[in-house]
This record gives sequence, C-alpha cells and structure tokens, in this order.
Amino acid sequence: MSAATSATIHTSTTPSPADADGFVVDARDLHRSFGSTEVIKGIDLQVRKGEVVCIIGPSGAGKSTLLRCLNGLETPTSGTIVVNGHHLGGRKTNIDKVREQIGMVFQHFNLFPNMSVCDNITLAPTLVAKIPKDKARANALRLLELVNMQEKVDAMPASLSGGQKQRVAIARALAMDPDIMLFDEATSALDPEMVGDVLAVIRRLAQQGMTMILVTHEMAFAREVATRVIFTDGGVIDEQGTPEQVFEHPQSERLQSFLSKVL
Amino acid sequence: MQPARTQWRKQSRLVKVVMSFLIALAAVAGFAMAGAAPASAAESSVKGKSFTIATDTTFAPFEFREHGKLVGIDMDMIRAIAKDQGFSIQIQSLGFNAALQALSSNQADAVIAGMSVTDERKQIYDFSEPYFESGVQMAVAEGNTTIKGYGDLKGKTVTVKTGSSSEIYAKSIAKQYGFTVHSVDQSATMYEMVKSGNASAVFDDYPVLAYGISQNNGLKTVTPKKPELLRHRGEQGQERGAAQSINAGLAELKSSGEYDRILDRYLGKTSSSSAKTPVKASQPSFWQLVQSSMPALAQGLRNTLIITVLAFTLALIIGMVFGLMRISPNPAANWLARIYVSVFRGTPLLVWAFFFYFGIPQLVGHALPNWLWISSLFTLSLNSGSYLTEIIRGSIRSVDVGQTEGARSLGLTYGQTLRRVVLPQAIKIATPSIINQLVIMIKDSSLLLTIGFADLLYQAQQLYAANFRVTETLLMVGILYFIAITFLTWLANIADRRLNK
Repeated sequence: MSAATSATIHTSTTPSPADADGFVVDARDLHRSFGSTEVIKGIDLQVRKGEVVCIIGPSGAGKSTLLRCLNGLETPTSGTIVVNGHHLGGRKTNIDKVREQIGMVFQHFNLFPNMSVCDNITLAPTLVAKIPKDKARANALRLLELVNMQEKVDAMPASLSGGQKQRVAIARALAMDPDIMLFDEATSALDPEMVGDVLAVIRRLAQQGMTMILVTHEMAFAREVATRVIFTDGGVIDEQGTPEQVFEHPQSERLQSFLSKVL
Repeated sequence: MQPARTQWRKQSRLVKVVMSFLIALAAVAGFAMAGAAPASAAESSVKGKSFTIATDTTFAPFEFREHGKLVGIDMDMIRAIAKDQGFSIQIQSLGFNAALQALSSNQADAVIAGMSVTDERKQIYDFSEPYFESGVQMAVAEGNTTIKGYGDLKGKTVTVKTGSSSEIYAKSIAKQYGFTVHSVDQSATMYEMVKSGNASAVFDDYPVLAYGISQNNGLKTVTPKKPELLRHRGEQGQERGAAQSINAGLAELKSSGEYDRILDRYLGKTSSSSAKTPVKASQPSFWQLVQSSMPALAQGLRNTLIITVLAFTLALIIGMVFGLMRISPNPAANWLARIYVSVFRGTPLLVWAFFFYFGIPQLVGHALPNWLWISSLFTLSLNSGSYLTEIIRGSIRSVDVGQTEGARSLGLTYGQTLRRVVLPQAIKIATPSIINQLVIMIKDSSLLLTIGFADLLYQAQQLYAANFRVTETLLMVGILYFIAITFLTWLANIADRRLNK
C-alpha cells in the first residue's frame, strides 16, 4: 500500500492486488437487515480495476447500504466481501489498513469543522501513513489544484459552499492514494449550480483510470462516465449493463418505470 | 414552675473530655500501655505527649472563634489542663457530632464539648469528672412582652438544639403546656428563629443563652434556670492514666481559682451564682464587623477555592475516563462506568463526605494523614465526576456520526478518530455544561463544613456563633461566593475561547 507521495492522482506504481478472477471488489450473496427489515436481499457485485460502476435505483433500495458494506462502515448480515484481496470481517484482516485503500465521499461531506482545509486533507497521511507534515501539505496543495480549490488551502470548512466542501472532501479521500473510490450520493446535498464543479472532478478521476463505484441520482452523468450501470430495487440487482443497455434498452418493467420518472 | 419530679442531670461540659484519652490509650497505644502502666504511671504517661482534641464548632461561650482564634470556657480549660499536666494539644473544631465520630474513628484522641453524661454514652466513652453545672433556660425576643413563662406557650413553637438536654426537656413538657418543638442544628439558628418570629421561644443551656444575650443577640431570658443535678457515679476506667491526669488538672484549676476566672471571663461575675442577664457589650457597626470578619472569611475563601480547583481537576480526569468508558464498545468498561455514575449521582454528597472522612479510617483501623483534605477531595471530585461523565458521554454522542465515518473511512483507528476528530468537537459542545458543573462544585463545597473542612461558610458559622450577627455575616459570605464564582466563570470562559476557537 502506498500513500500519496506523487502529484498524480492514484494510478500507483504497485499493481493493486486483485483476487484470482481479477476483481478488486468481489462481494457475494450479501444480505443486510436492520432489525426485521431486510434492505439487501442477496446481492453479488464484482468490479474490475478501472471500472466506473454507477448504482441507480429508487430510494430505500439499499444502494447506500451496499456501498457502505464495501469499506466496513456497515457489516453485512451474511455474505462475503473481498476488497483488494482482503477478506472483510476476516480474522486476520485489519479493517483500518483496508480502508486506507478505499476512498469514500459522503453525501454530507463530513469534513472536520475544527480543522482547516489543509489539516482535513493531511490528517490521515500524517497520522496513519506517517508522511512528514511538509510533504503532506505539498501533496494536499496538488490535490486541491486538481479539484480547483488551491486558494482555499487554509480556509475553515464553515466558510466554504457545499460544492467547495465536497471538492475538498474528494481531495481528502484522494490524499491516501486509494485504489478504489466510493461516492455515496456525492451531489445530492448540493445546490444545482454547484453540482457541475463536483461532477467535473469525478469525470477527471474517471479519465485517469480510477476504479470507482458511485451511488447517484445524476442519470445523465451516469450515462456519460459509467462503464457499467447497476439498477437496484427492493434489495436486489434488478438489471445491469452498459449505460447504453440500461438507459436505451431497459428490459425489466421496474427499470422502465423508474427511468420514466427520473429522465 | 417545672414539675419537681423531672430531675435533669447533665454534667456538662467536662464530661466530655476524657473520653478520648482513654479510648486512645485503649485502642491505639493500648497494648503497649496496658502492661507497663498501672496507676502510678499515670502522670508520666501523658507528659510530653501531643493529643488531638476535637470540639464543637459553634457552642459559645464554651468554644467559638474570636479574631480567628478558638476561645471559650472549654478551650481555656483544656489548655490550662494541658499546661498543668504537661502535654500538648492540637484542637480540631469539627462540630459536635463530627467530633464524636472523629473520636470513634481515631481521628481525635479526645473530645471536649458540652455533653451530658448518660449511661448510653458511658458505655462508649470514658468521661472526666464533670466540670460545669448547666441548666435549661427559656428566652424570648427582646421586645416580646406576652410570654413570661411556660404557661404562655400554648399553641406556640419552641425551638431547641438537636440532641441537647434542652430538647429532651422541652419535649417532656410540650404536651402539658401545649406548644410544639422545632429542633435545629446551631445556637445561632435558634436565636434567628426567635428573632424572626418563626419560633416564639428558645430553650437552651443557660450559659449559652447568657453569653448570647451579652453579645446582643436580641433575646432576653424569662425563666430561672432549671438546674440539672450532677451525677456522681464512679467513672469506669478511672484507674487509667489519662483520665486521672485530666481530672487532676481539673482539680488543680478549681483549687487555684483559675476555674472561676475562666467562667467569669465568659459569663460575667454573676454567672456562677444566678441566672441574671449579664451586662451587654456594645455592638460593633457593620463596617467594623466586615473588618474583623475579613481575615477569617478570606482564609475560608482560600480553602474553598483551593479544594474546588483541586477537586475539579480530578473530576475532569474522572469524567473523561468514565465518559470514554461509557461510549466504549467494551461491555465491561461500559458497565463499570454506568455503575459508577448511578452510585455517585444517586447518593448525597454528605453521605460520601462522612463515609470517606469517618468511615475509611475505621475500616483501615487507624488515622490517616491529611485525611480531612483528602476525603474532601474525594467527596467533591467523585460526585462531580459522575455528572461530568454524563456530560462528556452526551457531548461525544452529539457529535455527528458522519465525523466518525469520515475519519474511519480514511483509515484512522478508533482511538485516533476519538482523539483527533470527535473529542475536540465534543469538548467544545460540553464546555458550557462543564463550566456549570464548576460553579455547582464551588457551592457544593460548603457542605464539607459538616466534617469540619474550614471553607468559607464554615468560617462564617464560626463567626456568627460568637457574635450572633447572622444575617450580616451571611450577606458577606454571599457576596464573596458571588465574586469568586463570577471570577472563576470569567476565567473559564477565557479558557473556553482560547481552546475552542
């Protein structure tokens, strides 16, 4: 595992360890219940390196829960998850080490309000990856440049707009040089005029070959950047395929009905 | 006026003393002394030794403070006896009940205080020869012209001191004369009750009343004193050395005339023969009162602030540790913290003050050094710590869970997340409640006066027990507390702004 020491985004020199089939994410037969409510009812999800997977579907379909299972923020009730060769929940797996390889961006940004933009970004590299402060700051500046926020390096989060916060949050997630990025409705809490800036950043990441899984309601964007679109409904994957297949030739009735409402 | 049959006996004051010596010899030094010290060794056995003498706080004219110094009949007497018999004493002013507790728990070697000799007490304590014959007397407010005797008390309220012979006497005739008895803790409180009209009359020991009236406490006596007979039963354990040396010293004082000089000093010339109201001293003005009270009050304020700062520092550490245990995923730690909080939040501060100060030495079987301060520290910090635990737990819980998820998703461990992300935000949230808790502790520390901790309110009680200027003294105390709390709150707010900007 390598923390970010280079200016480029990810595409680290060490090939990410994938399992025998070449999947960086391999989840099988996932179930997740909250009390008596089962929100995930048997999902299989395999993602190869460099894929951009967009998960769409109605609210309450278990999209976010599925995503959060992939970095251990949720623990599946049953099923197996292997990320980068690490078996989540396995006895020998250190979940903190696995999380260093998975960046996550949240709907509500979750920036640390008591720290400056720079400290938000350098906290994990200095504390977890033990990178010297000055080096971490230099790296933070390059990441801020990437998300077009370099002039806010010493600002406090409270002084930023929602779109700016989310771009800082993306830079923060990238600072640990992850192999995979998870986006949990990254633009849902933003004013419409802010959405474009954030999507532009994600688009750049996709172009650089970052492996990404996005839960999103931005259908046009999903269609544009995704290599694969997954439609979940009622806790299962109802249909998946290329953007063209899903958006132009939806097979299931539920997907057709969903698309007719959101497009 | 009184039914002749009820013969109250109280041997007052002196009685008290010895208990301790004997107890000390029996329990602490006991084995060593027992073999070596038959009667003849008595004098030499106490010579050159140092004894801790516990006493009441507020029992003028027997013990009270004047210009910060403990004076009174008992104090002069025990000092004279110690001098005569060649031992040294250290006097601890604890309050009556606390003094007896201190004796039982070996915190003190002897008690000198007004105490009637009863059979029950004799089983627990060894008494000296009685040295003062008291008697119950009734007093009313100076301006009261309607109550001239017990017969005028029908339907009225009479106030007495809890546990005193006056209380026993008042209760014994309450039905006959149709009044109700309301017991309070201190002489000064009783007089305030009468002056304010909350009670119509007070029954109290005549020397105490006489002294109070001489100090302008606003009362006058209306009945002759009801004499109590001295009880001359042989003291158990009289062969023991310490009792003998005290009794010997007492006899010496009486024969030399020193005894009478001491009584006259506090009760006036007339005291030994009659119960006439003594000549009144002139009353100092409020500003003179402020001036004469300030040294003692400043000392009390100093102790209040020191114990508060120490105890609050400790309480913060306790609250942080248990607060973290309370949110810990470890069920054992969680339960331990839960039990701590429910025990200390669910029990009164006073219970713990008594438990630590009196209980622990008895459990370990010997006196402990600096125990008054240490037990005060434990009492305040463990009590406040339980509230701080909940404050810290609550403030950690109120930090958005997204903060934890954000930090954990970056690979921070549980501890790193707590330390670097959650706690700084939680403490910011908790600060106003923490400052509140500090203010509560300053005020709660006054409860420590019950175990004799010399805080601000304790010093005030000492003052008004001697000068009977209760309202004015408490006004000064209130102002001092207010200034101290305002100042500490101001400091805490500055610290808050610095740390939580």
